[in-house]
Formats: sequence, structure tokens, C-alpha cells
Amino acid sequence: MSHSKPDTVSAVLARGRLGIPSVVFFVIAAAAPLTVVAGGATTGYAVTGVTGIPVSYLLVAAVLALFAVGYVAMSRRIVNAGAFYTYVTRGLGRPAGVGAAMVALLAYNAMQIGLYGGAGAVTAQFLNDRYGVGLTWWSCALAVWAVVAVLGVARIDLNGRVLAVVLVAECVVALTFDAIMVTHPADGTVSFDTLAPSHVFAAGIGAALVTAITGFVGFEGTVVFSEETKDPRRTIARATYIAVAVTGLLYGLSAWAMSVATGPDRIVAAARADGTDLIFNLVSPYLADSIVTVARVLFITSLFAALLSFHHTVARYLFALGRERVLPAVFGRTSRRTGAPKVGSLVQSGLAFAVLVGYAVAGADPIVHLFFWVTVTGGLGVLILMTVTSAAVIGFFARSTHTEGPWRSLIAPGLATVALGGILTVTLREFATLLGVAPDSPLRWTFPAAYAAVALLGIAWALVLRTTNPDVYAAVGLGADRDTGPRLAPDTVRQPA
Amino acid sequence: MNSTPHGDDHAPHLREHPTPARPVRAVGSAAMPSTVRLADEFFYLAHDDQTGRSRLFESATAYGLAAALLAELYGEGRVTFEGRRLRVINTVPPKDWLQHLVLDRLVAEPRHTETRTWLAYFATAAYHQVATRMWQLGLLRQQQVGRLWRQRTVYVPADMNTAAWSWARLSFQLRNHQRLNAFDVALAGLAMHTQLDPILLDGTPVAVRAFLRQQVEQAPPPLRDLLADLGAVVGSAVLSHRTT
Repeated sequence: MSHSKPDTVSAVLARGRLGIPSVVFFVIAAAAPLTVVAGGATTGYAVTGVTGIPVSYLLVAAVLALFAVGYVAMSRRIVNAGAFYTYVTRGLGRPAGVGAAMVALLAYNAMQIGLYGGAGAVTAQFLNDRYGVGLTWWSCALAVWAVVAVLGVARIDLNGRVLAVVLVAECVVALTFDAIMVTHPADGTVSFDTLAPSHVFAAGIGAALVTAITGFVGFEGTVVFSEETKDPRRTIARATYIAVAVTGLLYGLSAWAMSVATGPDRIVAAARADGTDLIFNLVSPYLADSIVTVARVLFITSLFAALLSFHHTVARYLFALGRERVLPAVFGRTSRRTGAPKVGSLVQSGLAFAVLVGYAVAGADPIVHLFFWVTVTGGLGVLILMTVTSAAVIGFFARSTHTEGPWRSLIAPGLATVALGGILTVTLREFATLLGVAPDSPLRWTFPAAYAAVALLGIAWALVLRTTNPDVYAAVGLGADRDTGPRLAPDTVRQPA
Repeated sequence: MNSTPHGDDHAPHLREHPTPARPVRAVGSAAMPSTVRLADEFFYLAHDDQTGRSRLFESATAYGLAAALLAELYGEGRVTFEGRRLRVINTVPPKDWLQHLVLDRLVAEPRHTETRTWLAYFATAAYHQVATRMWQLGLLRQQQVGRLWRQRTVYVPADMNTAAWSWARLSFQLRNHQRLNAFDVALAGLAMHTQLDPILLDGTPVAVRAFLRQQVEQAPPPLRDLLADLGAVVGSAVLSHRTT
């Protein structure tokens, strides 16, 4: 039959596909720029006491762009793979894949639950200042939790257009603030000190780097949309690079601008004194109150967007693992009416509730002990995942016949593995600095050890499945495709044992 | 309840499934259907028998109906499924206009063979097409709902008993561990792979779920291939969901 006839099937399926801007909006909104700028960077200065935060954001953006080269190249060959553990499974084998899945579950849960600390404290402070009420952080956190829990089971994501508007507003606010801070330097001179590359070799840089990585978590989500884009080969790659570049520059610029406004030598002290208020306090003398109020509201909405996004991420991970029967099959069930991964959503909400109640009862600090400690621990988990995924990309391409050049299949992922592994090493060495605790505190090992424990648990579980339940073992990493097998793009791949 | 209304209907094929031998209220001037089709029955299962409200999320309903239409063509001996691909084996147009339309598309676009691609393609229009077919047969009536500026048409079953029949039949037979005939195996398979099975199994012991699974596994291999693809597209719809 003639192939010159119009391809109506492709035309119909192409309707409503996403372009580069939509994908960029979705992932940057999940990364929540204002949360990182106003919350992550300031708390990073305060807790770690490191002044090299701005240069860390830029350096991490460069490393992640390198990581994205191989990651995106591999995503083209694994149809419908949005999760790191799928890559690890295909590249390094199923036991490593299940280990990675467990690390991912812990990491994304930590990201999400930690954000409740920020959301609760910031919301409470905003309402208390404005309306003179005496709300506690945990009551606000639980209110936000209830909304996220309901939207989670109802499978309501933030509307794409709403997200876009909020995101643009956040960026405008951040850039305006940056302009004001840079034009009003502390000692009358603009200092580039915090951007000096020498910080990379300074003590405490590991803590600064993992703080920066935490700010980028969410950019890896571009590949989730690969099947829904107009041109999967180009859209995803470009959207990923744009997302990394835009967020990297914005974070680096904003963190640097804050240090200009306070003076590089006083940024740590100022951040410790003002906390997440720092950026607002620095600009409020030069701006109308209403604008600062709008900015504070946007800070809260950006926290909320990030909370909801990570909630959905965890619920989807649980769903995919339930579908594969790696976790009990009940996780693979959906809400009949809404199609939400119901059980996964409820379990995530339940876990978050337990942690929030625990923190409230213990009277721990919501910003330092919950927001910062737990989200950077989440960031550490994602750093581990990215390091392993980079290695998996090399393994995948080494084992498959493909048409990618050595840059995408070997050199870039190799460099990314080394760079991410290096960051991971210094992070672990400096975890006490990161948490702001004494070097001999047992806490510095507790958080990283949790990842080692769940990874070993996952590997052990995979080995148990291999002998007791080969069908389930064979389906590891397939997610929703467990009954149909992997759908590989043109190149063929041998699956490691 | 008469659990085996089809009496000696043991034909291991999906076609020409007779209507329940009960009086059905005719609406309008449309002729009464002489056969029951898989997509119509799935439509009934996926919607409330009284209000016509959806019992299942939109994308799963759409994929389920698309799969049901392909299964109808399989039942008519026009197509088969081999692994992840669909193959047309007989291009003679079926009597039913919708089956004809679907087959026509499959024949006209031979470059697309992946079952998943076709499920996605037919899912875009399946709801409207199946509802129209049922409406033309007097099985559904149209109702305008919503305010002036957001009016839309919903389809409400013309007869509650006809609409509830597929659910009642499947549910009763499963609860009593009675073997399903070929038609009902396919229908139960569609329900199971769109995650609609809780409405059949509501309040039943775990053993009934296992029985359902075991019955669906009796389906012929091509149909099982189709159902596997259906489960995968519904699963990925859950995974890649976003509110637009």
C-alpha cells in the first residue's frame, strides 16, 4: 500500500502533545524556584555556615547538564520510563534496580515530608504576622497536609496554566529581588566573592553542593513526559537542558545577590538571624509592602506546588512497584473514579502525618530539623540515585547495539559518574557540617546509613524474588508494562541477569 | 435471578451473544438490538445503570472501549493479536457500522501495527462512537446537562434493567464460582484490566478475585495479548497523569 497517504493515526495521536515550554514549566514548577531561593539557599547558608552556596548552584547545574546527556540518550531507548530505578535495572541489573527503587522511595518521601516543615513554618509566620493570630507551625503543616492528601487521592495536579502563571510570577519576583539586592550592596561595592571558584576547594563545600542538588530535584522528571511530546527525541533533551540552565542561573544569581546585599562576610550570620525571612527583609526597605506580601504568598504557593508534585511522584513509584508485584499488588490498584494510585497516595500521606506528629510532639525546629535536614537528606538520596543512574547509562550502552556516539554513551555519563561520585564522597565526609552538628554526632551517620540499609534491603528482596518468584523478578523495572514486556525503541538490548 | 439466561449458549466465540430473554422497554423508534456487543456491554459496566454517570476514570473508560471494539473485530474473525501487534486477517466489512469503521481504519493504515498505538488512537473517539451506536439502537438516550455556557450531552441508559444486566450477570456468576462463557470472559477481562473489577467484586472474599483472574486467563491467547496491552496503557495513563 502507498505510504504517500496521510498518516491520520499519527496526526490524531499528536493532538494535545506537549512542546518544550510545557515540559519545562512542569518540571521547574515541581522544583519550586522560590522555595529554593527563599528557603533552600538561606537555610543552606545558615545551617552549613558555608559562603560558597552560589558557586555550588552553578557547579551543580553544570554537572547535572553533563548527567542529562546520557540520561536523555537512554530515555529515548526505554519507552515510558520515568523512574531512575528503571534505568538502573536496565543498566546494572535487577537487584541494583530494586535497591535503587527503595532508595528512591526514601529520598522522595524525605523531600516531600521535609517540605512540610518549611510550608508549616512559613505559612504560620505569614498568618501570625499579618493577622496577629498564634498559629503553631505544625497546625499549618497539618492543614497543608490535609489539602495535599485530598488532592492526592483525587488525582488533582495543579493545572498547567495555573502552574505557568505562578512559575513566571515566582521568577519575576526572584529576579526583581536580585536586581534590588545587587543595586543595594552592603558596603557600597558589589562583591563577587561568593562566586569565586576557590570555594569549590574550601571546607564544607560538600554540604553546599548537596544543598544545591536538593534545589534541582524534580528536573529529572522531564523524561516522564517523553511519550506525550511532539518530538520525543528533541523536546525532552532540550527541555531538560533548559530547565537545568534556567534554574541553575536563577539559584546561583539569587544566592549571590543575597550575599551582595548583606556583604559576603555577614551572609551566614544574617541567614542565621532571619532564616527564611532573609530575602524578604533585604528587599522590603526598597519595595512596597504589597509587593513583598505577594512574594511571600508566592513562596507559600511554590512550597505547596512542590509538596503536591513530590506526593504524586511517591504515589506513582509505589504504583509502579505494586504493578510489578515487587511491593504488594494492592499498591498497583487505582481509585476507580479518579484513576489515582490510591493506595500509594494514602500510604505516603499516612507516613507524612506520622512524621509531622512526631516532630510536633518532640518540639523539633520545623525549619532546621524538618525542612533542611530532611530535604537535604532527600537530596542526598537523589544524588546517590543520579550517581548510580549515570553508571547504569554506561552499562546500558555497553550492552546494547546502538547508534549513539561515544560522547553520549560513554564520555559524558562517565564524567558525570565521576563528578557525582565526587560530590557524594565529599558530602558524606562533611555530613556533620551539612546538618550543623558536632563532627562526632551519631546523626551524621544515621541519615546516610538509612540509604545503605534500604538499598541492601532492596537488593536482598530482589535476590529472594529471583529464587521464589521468577515471574515477578523478570518484571522488575517494567512498571505498568509488566504484562507486555519492555518496549524498546529500535535498538535491541540484552537484559542483564 | 436467572444466572444462565443464555441456556445452552456454549459457543466458544464472542459473536452473536443473544440479549437476555426479558422484556426490554423500547425507547424512540429505533429497532431493538438483535445481538449484544462487547463494547456496549463494557459501556454499561463502566457507567451507572440509572444516571449514566461514569464509574471509571475517563482515560480507562476510553481505552476499555477501544479494546472492546478491537475485541469485537477479533470475535468477528477480522483481526488477531500476535504479541504486541495487531494483524488484519479478513478485510470483509462487518455488518455493524462501527466495526466496519474500525476495520476500515486498520486496513487503511497498515504502517501502524502496534496494538498500543491503535488503542490510543481509537480511545480518542471510542466513547462518542460507542455511545452513538447504542443511542441509535435505543439503548441510551441523550440528556443535556450543565449550565448554558457549559452544556454537554451525557448518555443515560434507556432501560435500567438492560444496563444493569452485564454487571448482575458477571457479578453473580463470579460470586458463585460459575464458569464464564467466552463473551463474559472477554468482558470480565476488559473490566479487570481497566481496574473496574472492584464493582464486580465489591464485598466478596479474596477467593472470588482469584476466580476472576483464573477465568480471564482462560481467554484465547490473542485476546490475552490485547488485554495485556490494555492493562499497560491504563497503567501508563495512571503514571503519566497530569491535570491539563
